[in-house]
Amino acid sequence: MFGKVMVVDDARVVRVSLGRIMKSLDFEVLKCEDGQQALDTLREHPDVKLVMLDWNMPVMNGYDFLVSIREMDEHKQQPMVIMVTTEASIPSMMKALAAGADEYVMKPFDIEMIKSKLDLLGVAYQQ
Amino acid sequence: MQEPQFEFMREFLLQQSGLVVEESKMYLLRTRLQLLVREHGLADLNALADKIKVQRNGELANQVVDAMTTNETLFFRDQYPFDALRDVMLPECTANNGSAIRIWSAASSTGQEAYSIAMTVAEALPGAAKRVHIVGTDISEQALQKAASGKYSQIEVQRGMPARLLIKYFEQDGNNWSLKPEICNMVKFKGANLVSPGLAADMRANGPFDIVFCRNVLIYFAVDARLEVIDNLARCMREGGFLVTGAAEIPRGQHSEWKSVPVGNRNLWRLVKKP
Repeated sequence: MFGKVMVVDDARVVRVSLGRIMKSLDFEVLKCEDGQQALDTLREHPDVKLVMLDWNMPVMNGYDFLVSIREMDEHKQQPMVIMVTTEASIPSMMKALAAGADEYVMKPFDIEMIKSKLDLLGVAYQQ
Repeated sequence: MQEPQFEFMREFLLQQSGLVVEESKMYLLRTRLQLLVREHGLADLNALADKIKVQRNGELANQVVDAMTTNETLFFRDQYPFDALRDVMLPECTANNGSAIRIWSAASSTGQEAYSIAMTVAEALPGAAKRVHIVGTDISEQALQKAASGKYSQIEVQRGMPARLLIKYFEQDGNNWSLKPEICNMVKFKGANLVSPGLAADMRANGPFDIVFCRNVLIYFAVDARLEVIDNLARCMREGGFLVTGAAEIPRGQHSEWKSVPVGNRNLWRLVKKP
């Protein structure tokens, strides 16, 4: 196993497909439906090393989740965050990176795209 | 596909482009040429081979070579060559060479490697990018056209490209992304066949090169053709120039000499003696 990954998306189909990709790369996958659930899960699992984060979700959106975890100082080891979203514009990307996202994937995604982003971040996975 | 037609296509591809299709790899022809068969309204691959036999230098023959030699590629493929470019090759070239720095992406396919080189240069030498001349060559006309356009789909720009550089060096038009002129203008593309005896003459106007990227190409050539390609590349370089190959590719020429330069756990190669 290469560690814990959180897949945060309100669409079940994305949680399943992205979860399946991350499992095939030998990560332990935790799934959340919105930013609030993701915050709660992160408190329970402070060893999550990577969050695959949708932007538009009910209750708490991905951007607000990102801002709030980057403001926390109790998590000395911050997880890396890859936005995985339909927000496919340069201003959105700039906003997310400025708030502390490490990488950005515009939907639709495939396994090659995800692997190449993990390579960029130096995150090890099952080859 | 029938045996005589398969044998003919193997021989044709070897002659035309140096490409080796192993006997066990008939499926490669099937997967890569099926679209052409359909586009030209032909019955099957046998009919395609028969047509090429009659006209070895026609448009259809070019399209077959294109389809067989164009490989899908990604930006910043394998990452380490671009780190080595930034940390080892460019600093040495700028120190040793007050004039232009010439870089060649020798099998540039649809341009991702050449443009990754250009973006690395723009990041590493922001004021000096005009001193750096990059040329991308390929045997496939179709690949060259796409490369020269500098336009990529949303899927293509996400394969290997850091979001930070996508924001900085691309313009967006819906799902289509175009490289900004500052990067596009650093790179020229032209047709070249790496096994052609005329290669050095074809590349004279662009060289001699300080740095050559020729990655994951040698593996497709027969052993004899590999020696020729390596000597051909050496003829286009200056002595002391750097060659970047694929991880498993070791440059051996008949008339050129190379030494390895370890960078991390990989190797670059330096040209010690020109043919």
